[in-house]
Amino acid sequence: MIRIAAVGDLHYGAGSTEILRPSLQHLHDRADLLLLAGDLTRCGGPEEVTILADELRGLPIPVVAVLGNHDYHADREDEVRRVLEDARVRVLEGEATTVDIDGVRVGIAGTKGFGGGFRGAHGSDFGEPEMKAFVGHTKTLSDRLDKALTGLDADLRIALLHYSPIEATLEGERLEIYPFLGSYLLAEAVDNAGADLVLHGHAHHGAEKGRTPAGIPVRNVAQPVIRHAYNIYTLDAGRQVLPAAAGGIR
Amino acid sequence: MSEPRADYLPEAIREKLIHDPRVAEQDLRVDVQAHRVMLGGNVASPQLKQQITEVAQELLPGYEVVNETTVVSAAEPDSEEPVL
Repeated sequence: MIRIAAVGDLHYGAGSTEILRPSLQHLHDRADLLLLAGDLTRCGGPEEVTILADELRGLPIPVVAVLGNHDYHADREDEVRRVLEDARVRVLEGEATTVDIDGVRVGIAGTKGFGGGFRGAHGSDFGEPEMKAFVGHTKTLSDRLDKALTGLDADLRIALLHYSPIEATLEGERLEIYPFLGSYLLAEAVDNAGADLVLHGHAHHGAEKGRTPAGIPVRNVAQPVIRHAYNIYTLDAGRQVLPAAAGGIR
Repeated sequence: MSEPRADYLPEAIREKLIHDPRVAEQDLRVDVQAHRVMLGGNVASPQLKQQITEVAQELLPGYEVVNETTVVSAAEPDSEEPVL
């Protein structure tokens, strides 16, 4: 049994010291891995993420993260990434990593992802260059997610995102902003490649639980949604979810 | 700030709060009635809630700021969920 702790949207900034630290003290007794689903900072400042990195440094379990839109705001995402990596946090963007937990290979493929909307109402890369860039960014990151997941050689596979792949975990948000909260292209990538769990953040007023069209569990771990320092999900490597093309869940 | 028309004031305040690095919250609700500004939504800490009140007061001096945002708990979870 693999125990995954996950949270997103911590939004560290001035005054955030000690928010997470008390809850991290016993984390290694309760979880094998900590996954961070983006928006780790308020404005994307390296000095903001340093506060979080100092709380994570020395944790005795692996920590894997993706960045979120806030982490890009200062155009210093490379520095944000370096600060995290200096604290031994593995940061993924269109990449994957594998962690060995008691002989079980847990693969994590991660991307920030982006918006666009959902089936029947997705934006198209058509018209103005700004619109092409917007939807093109989502397509690029979704393609990279598909490849990163597909390339994983692991017993369990997790997709770690910031933006949402499905509408169900956005319930509670205003419909007008759905296109800025996620894209079905992310779900399509996950369903094509196959995964056992999808984690995302970004939708602070959304719902925690949903599934992709192929039935893969999706959890919105935005901190205002889970209302805890993190949530813990357990996975049994003996019960894997296959891509829909291979027969769906077994 | 130069004050926009009353119809547009809540959105102008919301934008200012998003772009103020002391706040940078995209999910705040802002309502303005007479000379009172009401703020709602979730925030991560009591310190951030206080900063939001102070920034809103700077933006609208002379207005009463009613900060009804909720500080979200960051306690450890009581249980775990088997998903697979």
